[in-house]
Amino acid sequence: VSGKSIGIEALNVYCGPARIGVPELFEGRGLDARRLGNLLMDARSVNLPIEDPVTNAVNAAAPIVAGLTPAERDRIQVLAVSTESGVDYSKSVTSYVHEHLGLSRNCRLLEVKQACYAATGAVQLAVGYLASAVAPGAKALVIGSDVALVDGRAEYAEPATGAGAAAMLLGDQPRVLRMDLGGFGLYSYETLDSARPAPTFDIADADLSLFTYLDCMAGAYRDYTSRVEAVDLRKTFDYLAMHTPFGGMVRAAHRKLMRDVAGATPAEAAADFQARVEPSLAYPRQVGNLCSASVYLALASLIEQVRPEQDARVGLFSYGSGCSSEFFSGVVPAGAAEVVKPLRIAEHLRNRVELSFGEYVGLLSENEKCLVPEPDRVMDVDRYADVALRGSQADRLLVYTGNKDYHRTYEWISAARGPGASREGEQRRDEH
Amino acid sequence: VKEELSREELAGIVRDTVAQILPTVPYSAITPQVHTKELGADSVDRIEIIASLLDRFGVKEPMAAFSELPDLGALTDRLWELVTR
Repeated sequence: VSGKSIGIEALNVYCGPARIGVPELFEGRGLDARRLGNLLMDARSVNLPIEDPVTNAVNAAAPIVAGLTPAERDRIQVLAVSTESGVDYSKSVTSYVHEHLGLSRNCRLLEVKQACYAATGAVQLAVGYLASAVAPGAKALVIGSDVALVDGRAEYAEPATGAGAAAMLLGDQPRVLRMDLGGFGLYSYETLDSARPAPTFDIADADLSLFTYLDCMAGAYRDYTSRVEAVDLRKTFDYLAMHTPFGGMVRAAHRKLMRDVAGATPAEAAADFQARVEPSLAYPRQVGNLCSASVYLALASLIEQVRPEQDARVGLFSYGSGCSSEFFSGVVPAGAAEVVKPLRIAEHLRNRVELSFGEYVGLLSENEKCLVPEPDRVMDVDRYADVALRGSQADRLLVYTGNKDYHRTYEWISAARGPGASREGEQRRDEH
Repeated sequence: VKEELSREELAGIVRDTVAQILPTVPYSAITPQVHTKELGADSVDRIEIIASLLDRFGVKEPMAAFSELPDLGALTDRLWELVTR
């Protein structure tokens, strides 16, 4: 393991301005309430029709970028957005995100796709690039961003599906997670466990997807132990954070790994889950599956729940259908919670507007048009602006205003000085 | 252990494991013709049933190989094949 210090310097999430309680959603859909126990979910995040993968990404990253000096901001030389919610076959989501974050033009832009694994793939490629020191002092910004397309047809997957983004600023001042360079294990192969064949719906084989997750976790962990000496699942990692399709899946995966690798009894696994894994589920329980951002939402949850006072090694597992996966590790340094705290993630999750089932169903039919390619479209920003600002707690928020000749258009809205929201129109900064 | 285990005993262990993980299901309902979905098992229950059985028989086999078995009889057949190979 290399002595270089590279990793996550800042971490933020944006999880939409609205939510619906999972029990309310179960009741509205007529789902069997006995299944709530294995779901470990309290609420799911919901976007508004004036949001899309671009706005989710920008609204997650903007508070991080705002905290940088202009010189630091200009050192972001890689911008990668991972998404399974692309808006064009050629033009990347990232190009819009780059524009609205106001980043330097001396920057690599990439959109990456590998279902819920893609953000970790981008993080690891960026970490390797930064560690190579071919661009001393460079930073990379990786954002996992998606929108949800589920409705009642998804049955029990609907309450577990979140929406939003996580943004990770990477560099040589890793105050949130210092990566264990060389501490990774991989496991990938072709399968069709879930997919998004069209811009309006997902397909999924729930059993195959969850079973594949487990096989990948076993394979990736085994590969990790072949690269890192003297790994002990019980002792090497102070905490674990995993891709979280829903909390119950993480509990099942942890139990299986502990049984298979460490010979743990069910009681031992349960106690270990409570101590090392449960802190990572506090936020995912309130949001749902954030696709490739999910493991980073779990990491944010872990850091803010535990608030480690000394360095804590975390084992992380990222899985994406199709499939590709990685088990990797890093150290959360003492003081990481103080770095994450000013972004007020817990407050953001608490302040989301609570939807009734009727309001929720009404939004879904609008939201599912988000990725459909249309040459021209005008969104009713005024209809949703107040809810967007109130539920997101943001001082200013990027919203999707429509399409002009296939060019997507965006606008910043900000908290009004009087009642209602104000629109900043086209007066956004244009210093480039 | 493998030599001493009969197919009937293995089928009994499958049935007992399902009963243990789905305690509200009547034992008589756990038949070779039924899929655990029909007994009210969710995906997490199915993970636990299969993982417990693989552990019980000391078999290393990818979980994904069990995602398309139509019923408990097919699960029993597959496990028998694995423990006797």
